[in-house]
Amino acid sequence: MASFINLLKNEHMKLFKRTGTMVMVAVMLLAVLGAGAVSKFMINPDTQSDWQAELEAENIQFENMLDESNQTSAEQERMQEQLALNNYRLENNKPPVNSETLWGFMIDASNLTGLAALFTIVAASSILAHEFSQGTIKLLLIRPVKRSKILQSKYVTAMMFSGMLLVLIFAFSFLTGSLLFGFHGIDQSHLVYQEGRVVEQPMFMYVAQLFSLNSVEVLMMGTFAFMVAAIFKNSSFAIGISIFLLFTGPQLVQVLNDYGWAKYILFAHTNLQQYIHGTPIVEGMTFSFSISMLVIYFVIFLTLAWISFEKRDVTA
Amino acid sequence: MEREVVVQMKNVSKKIGNRTIIDQLSLQVYPGEVYGFLGPNGAGKTMTIRMIVGLISMTEGDVLIHGKSVTNNFEKAIAHVGGVIENPEMYEYLSGYENLVHFARMSPKKVTKQRISQVVKLVGLDGRIQHKVRKYSLGMKQRLGLAQAILHSPSLLILDEPTNGLDPAGIREIRAYIRNVAHQEQMAVFVSSHLLAEMQLMCDRIGIVQNGKLIREEGMNELTKADEEKTIQLQVNRLEDAFQLLNNAFPTADIEIIQDRIIISLRREYLPSCNQVLVQNNFDVYEMAQVQTTLEEKFLEVTEEK
Repeated sequence: MASFINLLKNEHMKLFKRTGTMVMVAVMLLAVLGAGAVSKFMINPDTQSDWQAELEAENIQFENMLDESNQTSAEQERMQEQLALNNYRLENNKPPVNSETLWGFMIDASNLTGLAALFTIVAASSILAHEFSQGTIKLLLIRPVKRSKILQSKYVTAMMFSGMLLVLIFAFSFLTGSLLFGFHGIDQSHLVYQEGRVVEQPMFMYVAQLFSLNSVEVLMMGTFAFMVAAIFKNSSFAIGISIFLLFTGPQLVQVLNDYGWAKYILFAHTNLQQYIHGTPIVEGMTFSFSISMLVIYFVIFLTLAWISFEKRDVTA
Repeated sequence: MEREVVVQMKNVSKKIGNRTIIDQLSLQVYPGEVYGFLGPNGAGKTMTIRMIVGLISMTEGDVLIHGKSVTNNFEKAIAHVGGVIENPEMYEYLSGYENLVHFARMSPKKVTKQRISQVVKLVGLDGRIQHKVRKYSLGMKQRLGLAQAILHSPSLLILDEPTNGLDPAGIREIRAYIRNVAHQEQMAVFVSSHLLAEMQLMCDRIGIVQNGKLIREEGMNELTKADEEKTIQLQVNRLEDAFQLLNNAFPTADIEIIQDRIIISLRREYLPSCNQVLVQNNFDVYEMAQVQTTLEEKFLEVTEEK
């Protein structure tokens, strides 16, 4: 029987021979370059002037707000934490990360994973739906290969493409950042507030953490799009609905925040950065709860995709 | 032992909702035989082909390919099959060669580079194989479709409307090729077509399907030559007089004048006396020939009976 490696080779050949794929990669790289150019040349560096004064002002503001004490306990906790971090910076002369440094730029660039999510959705939808719309699915399925294996090769290829985009953003933003901003501040560390103490962390770890937390959203939305494409065989529909949800999903959770079941919505969990910056979108959620919900959704998506693909009568 | 069977369809039915699309269809195809699957549009030809290759599930029955069930043992069964289902849709953004490499990689047997170039030469695409399929004409796509179907040297070749979009020279080539692989290499070929004259030239045996049922199945020779009554066309001088004479001599026969010929249907044993009558009455007989019952007429006859 044909080896899985051969199927992967086929899917990669089909993916990368399409002009659209190379356009997506190019746009990705241009976006990183563009972000670099904007922070280097367009934004005036006046914020850098006096970070001490700024942090002190911020602290006074926090203290006032805490005195009024009309916030939720989570908000209060958050402010206490920020106060502690600011004080630590002031005491130890550790300025906050400036966006015109390598690390600052990479922290900003971690938001470009949204673009990777978009392109992953496009790739994951079309890798399957195109076979149906082009009619090639017939020739693909009359080979001595199980349907599930073909679907698997397609899913793995889409996710490899997605991973490649994420690695590209990471590596290319490192390259762009170091070329535009040099390596000053490379030894800065990231401060975290743990169990009532401020701890220093290597900045590289922090940046890598941001990227990996963001890639969870990319993975989930790519898998969602793949499922929709497997069920409806239509790439425009799969792309449309996935992109729509990618952008509106988190807002939807905000709106439904007051209902207890809002925490079971996928989009309450796709942004895992909520656990390192700020408070969870629905009160009382924990990191491990989110991970369990994501795993459940992930399994459901793949199961639906597999069932509908294996049982289908191919009439395309 | 019976003859080895390549494809065996056993009481295959397909129901969608309440509608029965394919109704208890059974047939066999043997090695070295070109089997024509004939029927009007919507009779269920394509549906049947899709069930043989496992693209569509069966409601009842089973298809065995070399004794392996398509339903339960798909990979083993389909390994022997090559096919073009409906239009030869290939990956347009890949070159013809890349398309063949793609399908070669999915074969359980190793398909060598030599085999690929041999097949490319065979279907006459050697000059254009590196071009993108997007730039191919329909005829070239048809050839590429055939190429991917025979790449792994299957023992069953399934072709849905194989001559669609080919020019007459191309049609002749494909026909010759199909007959050749069947008869020389003992491949079983299952062809569907609506081009009846085509089938007549290509097939050894024909099954006629209508409304999802196999209503007739016969060897090519039987189907067109079985009838006892022969239709003869005669070219003689004094057409009207000859017509009268024959009408009197054979009162029960169908006789008519079409253009400059008399068409008469007679049982075989009366043919010499027909000639005798004309000669004895001093008619000059220029031509006396049997009119072939074409498959087309046969087909219309059979399908209209129902």
